Amino acid sequence: MLSIKNLHASINGKEILKGLNLEIEVGKVHAIMGPNGSGKSTLSKVLAGREEYEVTSGSVTYKGQDLLAMSPEERAQQGIFMAFQYPVELPGVNNTYFMQTSLNAVRKARGEPELNSLNFMKLMRAKLKTLNMDESLLKRSVNAGFSGGEMKRNEILQMSLLEPYLAILDETDSGLDIDALRIVADGVNNLRSPERSMLVITHYQRLLDYIQPDYVHVLSGGKIIRSGDKSLALELEKHGYGWIKEGAEAA
Amino acid sequence: MSNAVPNHESLKAHYLKVAQDAAKTLSQQQAIEHLLPLKLPTLRDESWRYTPLAPILGQAFHAVQREEDLLTVDDVQQARATPLESPCLVFLNGFYQADLSVLPADGSVLVDAHSHTVMPTAVFQQSFFAGLNAASADTILVRLKAQTTSAQPLEILHFTYSFESNFIAQPRLHLLVEEGAQAMVIEQHLSLADTLCFTNQVLQIEVGKGAQLTHPRLQNESLRARHLSHVSVHLAEDSRYQSTNIALGSTWSRVEWQVAFKGEHAYADLNGFYLSGANQSHDMQLSVLHRVPNCSSSEQFKGILHANGRAIFDGNIVVAQDAQKTDAQLNNANLVLSRDAEVYTKPRLEIYADDVKCSHGTTVGQLDPEALFYLRARGIPKQDAITMVASGFAGSMLETCGFEPLQARVMQMLTQQLTEAAASI
Ligand SMILES: Nc1ncnc2c1ncn2[C@@H]1O[C@H](COP(=O)(O)OP(=O)(O)O)[C@@H](O)[C@H]1O
Ligand SMILES: [Mg+2]
Repeated sequence: MLSIKNLHASINGKEILKGLNLEIEVGKVHAIMGPNGSGKSTLSKVLAGREEYEVTSGSVTYKGQDLLAMSPEERAQQGIFMAFQYPVELPGVNNTYFMQTSLNAVRKARGEPELNSLNFMKLMRAKLKTLNMDESLLKRSVNAGFSGGEMKRNEILQMSLLEPYLAILDETDSGLDIDALRIVADGVNNLRSPERSMLVITHYQRLLDYIQPDYVHVLSGGKIIRSGDKSLALELEKHGYGWIKEGAEAA
Repeated sequence: MSNAVPNHESLKAHYLKVAQDAAKTLSQQQAIEHLLPLKLPTLRDESWRYTPLAPILGQAFHAVQREEDLLTVDDVQQARATPLESPCLVFLNGFYQADLSVLPADGSVLVDAHSHTVMPTAVFQQSFFAGLNAASADTILVRLKAQTTSAQPLEILHFTYSFESNFIAQPRLHLLVEEGAQAMVIEQHLSLADTLCFTNQVLQIEVGKGAQLTHPRLQNESLRARHLSHVSVHLAEDSRYQSTNIALGSTWSRVEWQVAFKGEHAYADLNGFYLSGANQSHDMQLSVLHRVPNCSSSEQFKGILHANGRAIFDGNIVVAQDAQKTDAQLNNANLVLSRDAEVYTKPRLEIYADDVKCSHGTTVGQLDPEALFYLRARGIPKQDAITMVASGFAGSMLETCGFEPLQARVMQMLTQQLTEAAASI
C-alpha cells in the first residue's frame, strides 16, 4: 500500500525527517508513537502533500505510484485521508456543503456519479448513525468555533464519508474524553477491512486499547527507531520514551 | 476633437449646458445656481485621492433622452429578484417607466413622478455631480405610507440601455418611509448592453419615526459602465435602517453615503461587499453623523480583490458632543487574491462626546494556505478551494441583505467570477 524509503524532509531549511523508512501493507493498522517534536505531524503532512514541507531525498510509493509527484487533491482522490491534529476553521463555509463537495470531488475522480443533496443527506444520516453522532455540526461553518472534541469528531465523520484506502490519523485522540475517544475508535474500526490500511499517530497508549494495531513504531529525531507489535506500546507506557532512546543509542 | 481629454473648464461648461437644457422646474433652476460655483473632483480633494478620475472625467458624457419602447416587459421580468406579483419600480437611464412598473393594490406605496416637494439640498452640498443631478433630473418621490407593513418587498430596477453611447443617466429618487411603516426596498442597477455610460444617482431616504427599512442594493452594471451614487439617509426617532450595498459590476464605481441621526434610539446597520477584478475600481465613501444621543450604528464592509482590481474604503463616523451613549462599530476587511490588486482603507472615528462605545478596525489579508490545504486534502481541486474560501469570506456579508433570492443570485455570480479569477492564481 505505502512504502516510505529514506525520507528526508525539512521546513524553513530545518530538517525534521531524517531518513525515515516505513512499509505499510494492505489491510494492516500501524501505530506511530513518539515524543513531542519528533516529526509525527511532519510525516502526516508530507504524506498528505502540504507543499511547505520540502522533501530533500527519499521516496514514497503509494499503490505503486510516486506519491510525492501528486497534488494534495489527487492524493485524497486516490484514497489517502489525513485527519488533522489541528483542523482548520473555515468561516462562512457550510460544513454540509463542504463535505458534499469533498465527497463528490473524490467520487468524480473515481469515475463514480456525483450525489445530489438528497442522496448525500441520506448517506450522511447513515454515517452519523453508525458513529453515534447527531446532526448539530452540519449546519455550522467548517470547524468554526468548534471545541477540540467537535473538531476531531468532524474529522472522523469526513473519514467515514470518504472511505479512504489509507487513513492517517494525527493524534486524533489527544484531548478527547472517553465518549469522543470511542467515536474515533468506532470510526476507525468500522473502516477496517482487508483492502484498507491505517496509520494511527498517537502520543498515548490509551487509543490502542480501542484500536488494536498490527504494528507499533517509535518515531524519534525524525526516524523510526524501533518497531514491534502492540506490546511495544505497553512497554513504552511503562518505561517512557527515554528507555527506547537509550536502547537505540546503545544498539 | 471629441476624443481629446477635456479639461475641467470645458467639462464643467459641458455639464452646465446639460443642466440648463434639462432644467424646467424652479427647484432645478435653483440647483443650477447652486452648481455654478462647484468644482469637479480632483486628486487634491482628500476623498478623491485614491480614486481614478479618468473613467468619469476623461470624456464628456452627454445627456440622453427618455426612450419609451426600448425596454420590454420581458427585460424587466428577467432582471427581477422578487416575484412578478410584488411591486416594482422601473427606471431606464434614470427615467421612470410608469408602464413597466407595478404598484401594490393596497395603496401602501405611492409614486409621484412630478414631485414638487423639494428634496432637501443640505446633503452632498459640495459635490458637483450631486448638484448636476439636482439641476437636471426629475425627482421621483416614493412614499411608503405610515403604519403599513408590506408583505412583499418593493423592487427598484435601474437599467442603463440605449443605442447611444457615452451618455449620462441620472436617477433621482426621494424615498419616504413614513412613521411606523415597515418595508424592504431592493434596488438593482443593471445594464442591458455593454454600453459605455455613466450613472450619476442621487437617492435620498428618510426613515420616519418608528419606521423600519431594509435596503439591499446590488450594482451589477456592465464592465464598461461608470457608477456614481449619492445615498443620503436620515433616521428619525426609534427608526431602523439596514442596508447591504453590493458592488460587482462596472469598471468604476463609487457610492457616497451620508447617514445622519435625527432622533434618539435609532439604529443604522450599514453593510457592504465589493468584488474588484480586472480593470475595476470600487470606492465606498461612508459618512455617518451621530448628532443625537442613544443611537447606534454598525458599519461592516468586506471586499475581495483580484487581478488588478482596486478598492477604496473611507469610513468616517462623527459622534457630536451631545450624542452621548452612542454605540458605533466600524470595520473593513479585505481579501486580496493577487499581487496587482490595490486596496486603500481608511476607517475613522471623530468623537466629541465622552460616554460612548465606538470601535473601528481594518484588515487586508490573503488566502490562508492552511485553509486551502485543508480543502485540497479533502479532494477539492485548488481552484474550487480558493472559490470556497473566498465565498465563505463574502458569505457573512451577503447574509445581511435579508432577502434570500437576492443573496442566492449574488452568491452565484460571485462564485462564477471567483472561479474564473481562481484559474489564474
Ligand atoms: N513551520 C515550521 N517551521 C519551523 N519548524 C517547524 C515548523 N513546523 C514544525 N516545526 C518543527 O518541526 C519539529 C517537528 O514538529 P512536528 O512534526 O509537529 O512534531 P510532532 O507532531 O511529533 O509533535 C518540531 O521541532 C517543530 O518545532
Ligand atoms: Mg503533532
